[in-house]
Amino acid sequence: MSEWLESAIARAQHLDDWLAPKRAHAVELLAQTKWPTRKTEAWRYTPLRPVERTTAGKISDDVSLSPETIADLTPIELVFVNGQFDASQSTKELPAGLSISLGQDLDAAQQASALTAFAAIKPERHLFGLVNDALAEDVVLVSVAEEVEITQPIRISSLLSQGAESHTRVQVSLAKGSRLTVIEDIQSQGETLSTAFVEYDIAANAYLEHYRFALQTGTNLAIGGSHFNLSDKSKMHSSIVGFGSDLSRLDTDIIHAGEFADAKLNAIYLLDGKELFDLHATVEHAMPNGTTEENVRCIVADRARAVFNGRIHIHPDAQKTLAALNNRNLLMSDKAEINTKPELEIYADDVRCAHGATVAEIDKQALYYLQTRGVSRSKAQVMLNFGFINELIDLMPNAALAEWVRPIIRERFAQMEVK
Amino acid sequence: MTEQIDKALAREYEAGFVSDVESETFLPGLDEDVIRRISGMKNEPEWMLEWRLSAFREWLEMEEPDWAQVDYPKIDFQSISYYSAPKSMKDKPQSLDEVDPELLRTYEKLGIPLIEQQMLAGVAVDAVFDSVSVVTTFRDKLEEAGVIFCPISEAIQKYPDLVKKYLGSVVPKKDNYYAALNCAVFTDGSFVYIPKGTRCPMELSTYFRINEQNTGQFERTLIVADEGSHVSYLEGCTAPQRDENQLHAAVVELVALDDAEIKYSTVQNWYPGDEEGKGGIYNFVTKRGICHTNAKISWTQVETGSSVTWKYPSCILKGDNSVGEFYSVALTRGRQQADTGTKMIHLGKNTRSTIISKGISAGKSNNSYRGLVRMNPGAKGARNFTQCDSLLIGDKCGAHTFPYIESRNPSAIIEHEATTSKVSDEQMFLCRQRGLDPEKAVSMIVNGFCKEVFKELPMEFAVEAGKLLEISLEGSVG
Repeated sequence: MSEWLESAIARAQHLDDWLAPKRAHAVELLAQTKWPTRKTEAWRYTPLRPVERTTAGKISDDVSLSPETIADLTPIELVFVNGQFDASQSTKELPAGLSISLGQDLDAAQQASALTAFAAIKPERHLFGLVNDALAEDVVLVSVAEEVEITQPIRISSLLSQGAESHTRVQVSLAKGSRLTVIEDIQSQGETLSTAFVEYDIAANAYLEHYRFALQTGTNLAIGGSHFNLSDKSKMHSSIVGFGSDLSRLDTDIIHAGEFADAKLNAIYLLDGKELFDLHATVEHAMPNGTTEENVRCIVADRARAVFNGRIHIHPDAQKTLAALNNRNLLMSDKAEINTKPELEIYADDVRCAHGATVAEIDKQALYYLQTRGVSRSKAQVMLNFGFINELIDLMPNAALAEWVRPIIRERFAQMEVK
Repeated sequence: MTEQIDKALAREYEAGFVSDVESETFLPGLDEDVIRRISGMKNEPEWMLEWRLSAFREWLEMEEPDWAQVDYPKIDFQSISYYSAPKSMKDKPQSLDEVDPELLRTYEKLGIPLIEQQMLAGVAVDAVFDSVSVVTTFRDKLEEAGVIFCPISEAIQKYPDLVKKYLGSVVPKKDNYYAALNCAVFTDGSFVYIPKGTRCPMELSTYFRINEQNTGQFERTLIVADEGSHVSYLEGCTAPQRDENQLHAAVVELVALDDAEIKYSTVQNWYPGDEEGKGGIYNFVTKRGICHTNAKISWTQVETGSSVTWKYPSCILKGDNSVGEFYSVALTRGRQQADTGTKMIHLGKNTRSTIISKGISAGKSNNSYRGLVRMNPGAKGARNFTQCDSLLIGDKCGAHTFPYIESRNPSAIIEHEATTSKVSDEQMFLCRQRGLDPEKAVSMIVNGFCKEVFKELPMEFAVEAGKLLEISLEGSVG
């Protein structure tokens, strides 16, 4: 076991609050866990050395950090600063049917039910999910009442200052027929380490629109997860945008626990320098008649490394499932690396499942075509790259977010080394 | 419909008989003494024994792999007998007339007559029975062309330089758990050497048969195709129907030097166990080939047998412009489990690989494709195309795909696609409408599904594979 994990366990053992039973369970599992190496399947291409070496730690000083403003978007803010819930920056006036509360402020009965829901969707196999179970202190619970549509999106911002370590946890529950948009965002400065996990319980006929912006770079170590439980006829649409850092790892789990559920997941990641981004997306079809569509696109420049593991698991009863995964990767340099593994595990016969994966460089002919029209090579490359990614940004249902992220991505392309 | 398919799948294993041959078999158990005895029986030179012992020491330090999508009780390596040979083979019969007629009858029953006149012209056979090679046919004719085709135990004696140079060069001793075990205890197998610029005048073939109880078969095949040569090699295997599981851990190494071409075809029909999964062969095999400049290696496999299969015929595309191919049909039924696929390691420039894998699962079986395509930094302009299709027959079986794709060269292009579906009601309806019974209909649909692979097999094998599939599917239609 690594020193880092040992110290994390030791710190967890000092915490005592309403989450104690779950924390104890997580600590017990962590104590039995072997620290991942190259031979650990889930961490095969993602070395954990940056975590072992990090100097980031818990900071309790007051720091003033506030979430970035996004044009044409007035979200309901839910702000964490260095892992602590910041009530002053979080929205207090909430629309009818929406409640946001801190776990420790609930009464005993509410805490008991919150405790049952805690870590019920996130699978236990995620090492850092267990770390988060053990170290998250300010657990925030969000719930939408039956048949209520919240038009204003909720933005969960996790802000970290130089040297900070943060473990944030949010539990979101959508009651029957409700609709909600949630944006997860992490912003950090300098050397930081964060684990950010959110669990979504989506009841029958409910709809969740989800965004996760993992735009950390450099020495921001970011490990996190978004985990979704879909009940009968519920729907979700998730968009993920990621940049790499010394270590960026995201695990998503979509569980079709009800019939006729529909999940869409679009992920893009753009890596430069020596960055690494690792996305593990798992879809569990436990019930019949579900549909899943996943699109993952990735551009890797310089010496960066991209990892993707897309697993679709069809359980024995999940007949009439339709599931498709499309993974396309562009390599921009001789030193860049792509490791992708689209997996299918199927135990039901009346299903249609497919996956496709491609790895290549930019189409030379397209590049040549643009150059003959007087576009410089570097501009042409940006155009083609952008086009490759923009198709997925166009699919974002929230126009304000798409408009906000487009220039950020364009700027990133402009920085990528053109050869 | 599934019921009919199931009924049709309940087939008999035709090769399940036991031959009454008096054998000399080691007591179960494995230690250095057993290895010394095997080496002694084969009259091996000292270097070979040392090689075995060092592999054994490596093996003791290794752990049994557990990453495959298969589930079986832990193997007790001390309960297996590591050597068994028909007694009549002890004095090394000089000609076919001296071979125990019971042995010949065994092969005849399997449809592999060893008497040259009765054979399909153009196929030379090396017949391996438990731990020894019984006979190798057409050797004279092959020798005329300069081709060496003999049991590997003989090659160690007669061509030590060739064996020393290439044995373990593609699959190193400590490559994996079962390969290391094989290095320590391998008993027989075939050795092939095709000289420079020679096109082997006939198909070469090895037929493996496990007969004795409680034995394992550990054979080793080494094929070296020298510059500009060409060879097509076929491999077949069967075992009697027994309640105990038997281990088969083979290693096959192919070396294709510059401009050479090796075509390796397998029809694997080890005893798959009964409907409840009792008995059957554990088939844990390491097959790998290395391609030098402009060389080509093509693996074609039809896997219908074994209770557990763990097998990944691979190509290391070392030389520029080399080509690797993998065509596979894997059919599992009953409680069979197969985890099979390939690795294509692209090292050289403009290397190309094609992977076509067709998995068919029926009954309560599980069938996995596991593959790796790696483009190393030097693999400029390399190309891979992979297609994995799975067909499910019945709702109790599983079909899985685990492709690993690793690219480190931007100019390399990789395409991978996989689909999973069942025999559709529409397809069945169409066939039934035209007067085909359900069994024929399924057989036809499955044959169509596998066509891309069957067309890669040598003619005699393609016919056999088609028939095998038909028998295997018998009773599974519903």
